[in-house]
Amino acid sequence: MTAPRHWIARSGAALFALALLYPFTALLARIGQWQWGADVRGPALASVRVSLLLTGVAMLIIIAVGTPVAAYIARCSTRERLWWQAILLVPILLPPLALGILLTLAFGPYGSIGAMLEHIGLHMTNSATAFILTQVYVGMGYYVLGAVAAFDAVPAILQKQAALLGLPPLQVFLRVTLPLSRLGLAVALSIAWVRAIGEFGAVVVTAYYPSGMPVQLWVNLQSFGLPAVMPLLVVFLAVALPLPWLVHVLAQRNRHA
Amino acid sequence: MLKAHIIKKRRDLLVDVALELEPGSAVGLFGASGAGKSTVLACIAGIEQPDAGFVQLNGLQLFPPSLPLHRRALGYMTQEPGLFPHLNVSENISFGISQTLAATAPQQQWIATLRNRLQLDPLWHAPAALISGGQARRVALARMLARKPPLILLDEPFAGLDRQLVRELIDDLIFWSRQIGFSMIAVDHQAEVLKRLCPQQAIVLERGEIVQRGSWTELYRAPATPLLQSLLAPL
Repeated sequence: MTAPRHWIARSGAALFALALLYPFTALLARIGQWQWGADVRGPALASVRVSLLLTGVAMLIIIAVGTPVAAYIARCSTRERLWWQAILLVPILLPPLALGILLTLAFGPYGSIGAMLEHIGLHMTNSATAFILTQVYVGMGYYVLGAVAAFDAVPAILQKQAALLGLPPLQVFLRVTLPLSRLGLAVALSIAWVRAIGEFGAVVVTAYYPSGMPVQLWVNLQSFGLPAVMPLLVVFLAVALPLPWLVHVLAQRNRHA
Repeated sequence: MLKAHIIKKRRDLLVDVALELEPGSAVGLFGASGAGKSTVLACIAGIEQPDAGFVQLNGLQLFPPSLPLHRRALGYMTQEPGLFPHLNVSENISFGISQTLAATAPQQQWIATLRNRLQLDPLWHAPAALISGGQARRVALARMLARKPPLILLDEPFAGLDRQLVRELIDDLIFWSRQIGFSMIAVDHQAEVLKRLCPQQAIVLERGEIVQRGSWTELYRAPATPLLQSLLAPL
């Protein structure tokens, strides 16, 4: 690319970035003194703990369940794969609020499964379990679709070559497919993480308590107004952004290696 | 001993080839591009499924039913070396060797022989993703031979390499075929490569069928078809 064209492209990209980040100038808006007193700080930090811990657990479940499912889908016929993709798109396409309502009705104490779970001590509304379940439903589709794409990117001939060298299918997966798709899987996980940790619509229905950061933002807005929202917003960005960003940094490094 | 009858329908071609190969012998599959040579090899290897027919190797039924690739005990090498880019050269070569076997003195001796003969010493710890095409073929050859398979299948493994390297690799293969005693089926569209690699016998394919089989002398003396005559003619 010639120098003038390069600068035109860079200016265009910079304008795009400015437009994308423009809403964050509202952090400087004159809304009064930011509130970070004990009555705001306590619940806010509790919500940070809830979001990080429970979303982390949800991600572990998503990896454990989603990875083998994605590996299966990646090996399906085109026809079967289309069905799987449609199924995975359903929770993604659904408005979060609607998903929350469906989850509450399906897993709450009114349904047979919910009643059964309640019987064994698993409360599926306003509990850590409900929070994790919702995060899993919200993030699973993103992770699995991304993981399928990551597995697809591994050349099939390498997997066949590994098998011809005497490795059974599980070993081929662990020693060839997984290492070669790890960056794609990490990106898929980071998208699932971003989607889940920022989820409000579904979580506010299924797990108002324990409050994660998005719900706490809503509570702060309702209870104290904007001055109590802004500090939590900054904390939210500070704790939720590093993981997916780190993944992209690693992916970039690998690209240029 | 290999006994195979491959029937495989391609979009515009029906491949129907029967062949037998004695232990330790080598045959060259020769023919124009699109004749079905690679399909035959891929079906024997298990990379592709034949539509009908059978494949037996030393009494083991490879097809039908299709035996999983990891139980086939054969080597398969194409012009795409297929090295594992996340591993280094040494790890690629010992990839198919169990840790228990790798620790034994004879196996270590064998790997050292491959390493020396194929001049892999300077590359030994290099990332496989960062070596040249010619080096990658040498590594792929070492990786295939590390397990001492009874049958090796070569699908134009020297395509795109300079003549000196091709000559060296062919000499290495001949050397090891005597050492290990493997059988070999090689595919190439260059007669001179096949003639050197499999000097005893050749099978000529045209449009998915065998049109001639015999020694290279017979092929040159009395080519069965005008196309074969043209393929064997000097440039």
